[in-house]
Amino acid sequence: MLRLSRLLSKRWLSSSKPAGSTAAHYFPHEPKGPHLATDSIPGPKSQALNDELGQVFDNRATYFVSDYTNSVGNYISDADGNQLLDMYCQISSIPLGYSNPELLKAARSDEMANALINRPALACFPSTDYKQILQDGILAAAPPGHNKVWTALSGSDANETAFKAAFMYQAAIKRGSRDFSAEEMASAMENKAPGCSDGVILSFDKGFHGRLFGSLSTTRSKAIHKLDIPAFPWPKAPFPALKYPLSENVQANQAEEQRCLDAFESIIESYPPHTVAAIIVEPVQAEGGDNHASAAFFQGIRDITLKHKVLMIVDEVQTGVGASGKFWAHEHWNLTTPPDMVTFSKKFQAAGFYFHDKNLQPNQPYRQFNTWCGDPSKAIIAKTIYQEVVKHGLVEKTAATGAYLYPQLQAVLDKHPDKVLNLRGENFGTFIAWDFVDAGARNKLLAEMRARGVNVGGCGDVSARLRPTLVFENSHADVFLGALEDSLKAL
Amino acid sequence: MSTSEQYFPNEPVAPTVVTSEFPGPKSQEGIKSLGQVFDSRPVYFIADYEKSVGNYIVDADGNSFLDVYAQIASIPLGYNNPALIEAAKSDKMIRAIVDRPALGNYPGKDLEEILNGLLAVAPKGQDKVFPALSGADANELAFKATFFWYQAQKRGGHKVPFSDEENTSVMKGQAPGSPELAILSFERAFHGRLFASGSTTCSKPVHKLDMPSFNWPKAEFPSYKYPLDKHEEENKKEDQRCLEIVENLFKTHSCPIAGVLVEPIQSEGGDNHASNEFFQGLRDITLKHGALLIMDEVQTGIGATGLFWGHEHFEISPPADLVTFSKKFQTAGYYFHDPEIIPNVAYRQFNTWCGDPARMILAGAIASEVVKHDLPAKAQKVGGYLFKKLEDLQAKYPQYLQNLRGKDRATFIAWCFDNSAARDKFLKDMKTVGVNIGGCAEKSVRLRPTMVFEQKHADILVAAIEKVLSGY
Ligand SMILES: Cc1ncc(COP(=O)(O)O)c(C=O)c1O
Ligand SMILES: Cc1ncc(COP(=O)(O)O)c(C=O)c1O
Repeated sequence: MLRLSRLLSKRWLSSSKPAGSTAAHYFPHEPKGPHLATDSIPGPKSQALNDELGQVFDNRATYFVSDYTNSVGNYISDADGNQLLDMYCQISSIPLGYSNPELLKAARSDEMANALINRPALACFPSTDYKQILQDGILAAAPPGHNKVWTALSGSDANETAFKAAFMYQAAIKRGSRDFSAEEMASAMENKAPGCSDGVILSFDKGFHGRLFGSLSTTRSKAIHKLDIPAFPWPKAPFPALKYPLSENVQANQAEEQRCLDAFESIIESYPPHTVAAIIVEPVQAEGGDNHASAAFFQGIRDITLKHKVLMIVDEVQTGVGASGKFWAHEHWNLTTPPDMVTFSKKFQAAGFYFHDKNLQPNQPYRQFNTWCGDPSKAIIAKTIYQEVVKHGLVEKTAATGAYLYPQLQAVLDKHPDKVLNLRGENFGTFIAWDFVDAGARNKLLAEMRARGVNVGGCGDVSARLRPTLVFENSHADVFLGALEDSLKAL
Repeated sequence: MSTSEQYFPNEPVAPTVVTSEFPGPKSQEGIKSLGQVFDSRPVYFIADYEKSVGNYIVDADGNSFLDVYAQIASIPLGYNNPALIEAAKSDKMIRAIVDRPALGNYPGKDLEEILNGLLAVAPKGQDKVFPALSGADANELAFKATFFWYQAQKRGGHKVPFSDEENTSVMKGQAPGSPELAILSFERAFHGRLFASGSTTCSKPVHKLDMPSFNWPKAEFPSYKYPLDKHEEENKKEDQRCLEIVENLFKTHSCPIAGVLVEPIQSEGGDNHASNEFFQGLRDITLKHGALLIMDEVQTGIGATGLFWGHEHFEISPPADLVTFSKKFQTAGYYFHDPEIIPNVAYRQFNTWCGDPARMILAGAIASEVVKHDLPAKAQKVGGYLFKKLEDLQAKYPQYLQNLRGKDRATFIAWCFDNSAARDKFLKDMKTVGVNIGGCAEKSVRLRPTMVFEQKHADILVAAIEKVLSGY
C-alpha cells in the first residue's frame, strides 16, 4: 500500500513536472538580488542586539542577528536591513525558503495550534490523527524499502535512538529466545556488562553525527567538537579521500575506496560477532568537508555489513530532503538491499529514523521510549514540506539547477587554480563544495561573499559548501556566480 | 471564579465513561493501525485532543477522563488552554514555526525577548539559560557544560588553551582529550534514556538493558520511613548514611566525579523524597570536591510542588550550579549562573538548532500564566486539601495507601501498594470510574495533575479512588 502510493506519487511527479519558477510562485516579492544597507555585516544593529543577547546566551557563534519577518524566499534579512542570498540556510535546514506561504498556512491552522498546545506523550497517548499525519508526510517520503519510523527531536537524537535500536536488535539475536537473566538485570543497574552492552557503533574518519555522548563518540570531524567529553571506545574506519577531477583519477580513486573497504572489513572482523552493532555513514560527509565516495563504495559497505550481520545506518540528516537531486541522497547508490535505518532531521524539520525490519522495534515496549517521542507539530510541518516538494517537483528542479550551476561554477573556479580546487557534487543537485588552498583563504572568501550579500557556509578545514533551499533556481545561481567571480578576484 | 473556570467555562463537571473495556474499541483499532508504522505497544488509548478540555482528556471512543497523569507530567495548564491557543496563533509563533533558525549562528531579533520569558522564572540564583529539546537532551547538555568546566579547572583556568596532546588524543577517543570523568547519580534516579543520561538513570533494568553505558557511580538515595514526623531520628541517620556514600565515592571511584545529578523528588523511581539537610549536604560535598551540582527539575519544575521549582523548598546555599527542565515547561534546557560554565570558545556547546523558539514562546506564555494566577500557591492549597483527604482514606484502607508522601509538596503526591500487580490493577480500575492516573517504580501510584487542578477535581479524584478501593 505504502510502496504503491509512493510509486504513484513519483510517477505523478515526473509526468506532471510543473514548469516555471516555484520561487516566483511562492514569493512574488522575493528580492531580485542582495540588498546591502550597511558597510559591513554584521551591521551596528546586529552587533548591539548580539551584545545584549550575550548576557543570557552563548552568542559567540553568531554571524548576524536576523530579521525573519523580513526574510523572503532565498533571501535572509538581518537586523540592519541587509538582505542576503542565503546559501547556508540555517546550517542546511531551510527547505522551502523563508516565509513560505504554504508553511505559513500550515502554521496558522487549527491542527497546528492543537498540536502545539496539547503536546502528547506520543507513545502513550497518541492523537487520533497522528497515524494519518505520518502516513501523508514523513512516511510518504520514506526511502525505498522503508515503511516504519521512530520520531525524534534533532539529528543527534535521531542517530542515538537508531543506535539504541541497533544495540537492542543485536542483543536480542545473541540472547535468542531466553528472557533477560538475573545477572543481566543486576549488572545493567551497575552500568556493567552483561546487562549493559559492550557493543560498538563503527563510524568513519571525518564523519559528523551529532554532539550528545553516543553520537559524539561517532563524530570524527574536529577536535573542538569532542574535547573534554567522555567518549565510548568505538572504532573508526578510514573514509576515501578521492582525487579530483574524478574523470582523471578513476584508478587511483578505485584503489583508495578498496583500501578503505578492506580496512573497514578488517575492523569489523576484529570484533566478536554482533559486537559491532551498526555502522553509521553519511552519503556525503558534510560537516567533515563534503567528502564524497562512489556508489560502488557504498555498495561495498552494504555487502560487508550484510556479510557480517552488522546493521547499516545511513545518516541523511544533512543530505536528505531533495538537495542532492534525489529525495534521499543514498538513492543515488541503487543499493541491492536498502540500508537498515535512515536518519533524518534538519530540512525535514521533524527528526527520526526510518526502518523496515520490525525487529528493530525492541522485543518489549518502553525500551525505545521517552516522554514525547517526537513532536506532532513538526510532523505536520514535515507533511507540508513533503507535499510541496512533490507538488512542485522540487527534487527534479534542484537536480536541474545543480546541472545548470555546476559547469558554470567549474568555469569560474578554473580561472583561479592557485586559490581553489577539488570542485565536487556533480550530478548531485545543489549539494556542491570545493576547497581552498588553506583555511585563511576560505574564511576570507566567505567574508567577501557576505560583503557582496551572499551568505555561504564553510565545512571541513578548507572547504566552502553550498546548502541552498529547494527553491534556489537558475536566477539565484546567477547572482551567486557573479558574487563569486568578484570575490575570488578580491582574494 | 477559579482559574480553571476562567480558562475553561466548558470543562466537564465530571468524567464520562462510555466503554466497558479500556482501551475502547476505537482506541484498539487506532493502536493496531498506528502499530504498523510506529511502536504503539505502550499506548494507553488514542486521544482526541480537539475534544479534550482543561483537566479532562477525551479518547477516541468518547470517554472523558479526569487526567491526573497529564502526558507523563507534562501538561501545565490543561488541554486547550485559551491563553496558550493565543500564544500558538500569535505572529511570533507562526514565524518561529515557519522559519526555524539555527539559533547559535543566526538568532532572530526576538531571541532575547523569548529567552527573557524563560529567565523571568529562573530559579533563585540563576540568570542564564541554554535551550534544549527534551529532558534527556537538557541533562546531557548540562553534563557537557559540567565536563567543560571541570577540565578547564584542571587545566588551570577558563582561558588556558588545549594542549597538542589533548587535540590529538581526542580524535582517537582517548585521554587526555577525551577524559575519563563521571557524573554521580543515585539509585532509583531517572534522568533520561540517551547514552549519557541513560548511564545516570537507575530506576529499572528495562531502561538500561543492552545499552552501552559509561562506568559512572551511583550513590544511595535516602529511603525514609513514613509518616515522617514519627521517624525523625531514623530518617536523619538515613540522610547521613547516604551522604557518606556520596563522600566515599568521591574518594574511591575509578575516575574523577565532575558533577552530582539529583532530582528534587525522584519521580520515575517511585516519588522518593529527601530532606533539606540531605540536599544541603550534597551541596557541601560538591563544593568541597570541586564538582558541580545539577538539579534535574524535568518532572518537578513549573509549580507542581507548590514552588515554581521543586528544589527551592530546600533553600540550599550557595545555589545549585545547573538546573535542568523540560516536560511542563514545553521547552527544555538548563539554567546556570557562573559565566565560566560557558565554555572557553564558541562551538563547543552547540548543535544545529540549539533549542526551538516555538517551544520557548510557549514556555514564556506558560510562565507568565503560572505567575499571573499564582498557580504554585494555589496548587499548594489544593495539595494540602487533597493530602488530608487521602490521609482519611489511608486510615480506612491502609493496605492500599501505604507510605503516603508529598505532604506540603502541593499535588506532587504518591503512595504504595503491596506489589506491582495490585498497583497495576488499581490504575486500570481507575479508568472504569473515569480517571487517568499513572504509576511509578514497582508499586507506587503518583499524582501528576495540571496546575489548574482544583478542589472540585480533588473531590472527584478522591471519590473515584474510594469507589475503586471500596470494591477491593
Ligand atoms: C550528517 C549529520 N548528522 C547529524 C547532525 C546532528 O544534528 P543536530 O545538530 O540536529 O543534532 C548533523 C548536524 O550538522 C549532520 O550534519
Ligand atoms: C526527572 C526526569 N529527568 C529527565 C527525564 C527525561 O525526559 P525526556 O523523556 O523528555 O527525555 C524525565 C522523564 O521522565 C524525568 O522525569
